[in-house]
Amino acid sequence: MAHEVNAELVANVWKVVASVGDRVAADDALVILESMKMEIPVLAEVVGVVTEVSVTEGQVVTEGDRIAVIEPD
Amino acid sequence: MTATDHRTTPPQQATPRPSKPPREDDPRNPNKRLAALYDADSLELISADGDSGMLAAIGMIDGVRTVAFCSDATVMGGAMGDEGCSVVVAAYERAMADRLPIVGLWHSGGARLAEGVLSLDAVGKIFHAMTLASGKVPQISVVLGPAAGGAAYGPALTDVVILGPEGRIFVTGPDVVRSVTGEDVDMLRLGGPEPHGRRSGVVHVLADSEEHALGEARRLVALLGDQGRLDVTAVEDVDLAEQLPESVRRAYDVHPLVTELLDAGSALELHPRWAPNIVTTLGRFGGRSVGVIANNPLRLGGCLDSTSAEKAARFVRMCDTFGVPLLVVVDVPGYLPGVGQEWDGVVRRGAKLLHAFSEASVPRVTLVTRKSYGGAYIAMNSRALGATRVFAWPGAQIAVMGAVAAVRILHRRKLASVDPDLRPTVEAELAEEHETIAGGVEKAVEIGVVDEVVEPAKTRSALAAALADADHGIRGQHGNIPL
Repeated sequence: MAHEVNAELVANVWKVVASVGDRVAADDALVILESMKMEIPVLAEVVGVVTEVSVTEGQVVTEGDRIAVIEPD
Repeated sequence: MTATDHRTTPPQQATPRPSKPPREDDPRNPNKRLAALYDADSLELISADGDSGMLAAIGMIDGVRTVAFCSDATVMGGAMGDEGCSVVVAAYERAMADRLPIVGLWHSGGARLAEGVLSLDAVGKIFHAMTLASGKVPQISVVLGPAAGGAAYGPALTDVVILGPEGRIFVTGPDVVRSVTGEDVDMLRLGGPEPHGRRSGVVHVLADSEEHALGEARRLVALLGDQGRLDVTAVEDVDLAEQLPESVRRAYDVHPLVTELLDAGSALELHPRWAPNIVTTLGRFGGRSVGVIANNPLRLGGCLDSTSAEKAARFVRMCDTFGVPLLVVVDVPGYLPGVGQEWDGVVRRGAKLLHAFSEASVPRVTLVTRKSYGGAYIAMNSRALGATRVFAWPGAQIAVMGAVAAVRILHRRKLASVDPDLRPTVEAELAEEHETIAGGVEKAVEIGVVDEVVEPAKTRSALAAALADADHGIRGQHGNIPL
């Protein structure tokens, strides 16, 4: 089942690191958020292939918003 | 309350059941489980080995004399009746009389249905005994199979709950949930490792095998029951700064820092996946048991929120009541702002952490590594709450908020009148000026809220000296209510 990665907190999307088709490990950063004056990476959580990146740089996300979708191995 | 259904089916309708293994070979045999918990050949039974559904023993765990009891899941699925509950209450009386740690191994469908309210009364007596023992002797629970109803609240009243891979904890089982609410859910999703490890906070430690679960219980008994003495000469300095990223804006995982701070291989984290923005870890420091509380910037930027404050408060109170000193590692940008938090009771639940630190009488030493802002600064064992000693690394920021955010409020009018193109430059200038007045570590030392600026490479020995100075064997005089 596809694994959905969601935002944990309200933040700006500072940098999108992963692209569709990338292979990722559990600790890989998909995007880096900016919140509370800090750069906070959003991690893949599972090993697999990125099938969707749901955000663009500069976008504001709120808690629970989808960041990316990964098809786990 | 869920009860195990042990009505017999009329023989003519019965489908042939796979023959039950003899009790000696049954992995649920409580004699086997207790033997696996204790040091070899140290176990001595203190209850009759009958069909009460419970078995109790006394023996050694890593050299610590310990009382333990175990559900007998070979009898009616471990359902608890009057006789079985009396075994547990007697075990508690023994643990209290001799001031020994007590471990409960749980595998039980709850109260015995056939005994009616008698079994409810008996289960209630266990809860009462546990509560009276709270904060007096360490209580560890290991849930190895389903633990429903009364068998769920038993572990929940104790200090630490360990869940084995087959462990399931719930008040009402899937059948009752389905018949009452129509929700279709299995035992795993209702009360398995995922919900209790990540969502509910019921479970402190997840184990991947029964052996691992019992092993973690043994480590906890040793950490709480044989705390050792802090040997400052055994604490070697390492450069802890290597565990932090170069950029102060960068989030990082605090676990390697906590591990480096403690004696090698001694860390045992409680609630690792629940409220992961704060880390609560037991371990050894110079050979002595200590509790570490650390903000984790990797999760929620390390902000305090309602759940993490509650998690930390319970940990602080547990350590305090058993006389375990605290090391508090601070890198916190503040309390998490937002409607969700306010409605979630961040004021009420956050207050628990203020209360827990303020009342704690064990030595509690604070180390500010990067920053400590606002209300969260106060909550993270600040000088004002009675910290034994407060250290900070060079360059640490201690302030009401970050300098840029502060000058945007303090100089709102001035900034509004500035040409928008020049605003960032003016902001930066004002922020620099503000930092020297209000936010730098030197200012914090000057007013006495930080005792000493310490180099990361000399931090372990500084913390050891501060703890050793204050370690007079005093512990909190309170219970450990499951906050």
